[in-house]
Amino acid sequence: MTQQEFLRELEEVLEADAESIKGDETLADLGSWDSLAVMSFIAMVDENYGVTLAASKLASAKNVEDLIALLGDKISNT
Amino acid sequence: MINPMELIDRTIMVTGASSGIGRETAILLSQLGARLILIGRNAEQLNKTLASLEGTAHHVYTFDLSNIDEIPRWMKEVTSASGPLHGLVHSAGLQFTRPLRIMSSENIEELMRVNVTAAIFLAKAFRQKGVSADSGSIVYLSSVMGLVGQSGQSAYSASKGALVTLTKSLALELSRENIRVNCVAPAMVTTEMSGKMLELLTPEQVLQIEAMHPLGLGRPRDVANAIAFLLADTGRWITGTTLVLDGGYTAH
Repeated sequence: MTQQEFLRELEEVLEADAESIKGDETLADLGSWDSLAVMSFIAMVDENYGVTLAASKLASAKNVEDLIALLGDKISNT
Repeated sequence: MINPMELIDRTIMVTGASSGIGRETAILLSQLGARLILIGRNAEQLNKTLASLEGTAHHVYTFDLSNIDEIPRWMKEVTSASGPLHGLVHSAGLQFTRPLRIMSSENIEELMRVNVTAAIFLAKAFRQKGVSADSGSIVYLSSVMGLVGQSGQSAYSASKGALVTLTKSLALELSRENIRVNCVAPAMVTTEMSGKMLELLTPEQVLQIEAMHPLGLGRPRDVANAIAFLLADTGRWITGTTLVLDGGYTAH
């Protein structure tokens, strides 16, 4: 997956407008990073990337870049 | 001394016997004297269960229950080797957390296929001539999520709630064939599967879940005991029932 594809998936998880997330936001900026969004994110990452994320790891993520970092080389930079 | 739950000379099939509640149930039933037919998808894990059973004359078969239409013929083949069944415990099932925003129809269909359609087809297979003995007992594994709700659990709740009501209808339909149908509905039980789930949560979330169980989280043996009770003669007058095993979860 590319970073752009990941951002579109993140918009779906957060129910944000299409193409509204650029990748440099903090999670606090996004406003809708609540418990259902976290649950959705964990399920999405499991289904689309085959990655099982621990909530404790996710809890320390502060911005969108941290989320991308959690998926490591599953997301290409382009 | 008497043991009202003894199962000597009974043959009982357990699906999902490769881990967790299914494995523990198989072990307990063997300790009560039953011959077991263990069903699962993973031969290695099934053989681990087999090695933990008391007694001999048990059988192991790998089978994927999502092959719904194969179930009746397959069960006939299995029981032609093992002899007729006195009981069936359907412990195989999928667990699934999805908020609506990311739920797909494929997700729901897969879940319903394994958790509900396979359950009905197992009953269809069990009632075939020669497959079940003169009297039979079926036990399904529902969940407290089939009785009360939780965010992100709508599809899973629907599938587990379906088991509660299909148990009632099947109990009525099969009573004339001397087959009892019951269901157990556990809250969170510490198994490998739930352990993996708990590992994914933050310590605060884990405490929150534990707090919802006044008697603490359950153990696989707590559920196995109830299943054995329903299968054995202790359950003779019980059909169409869902036995809730939840450490007080639904008492709130």
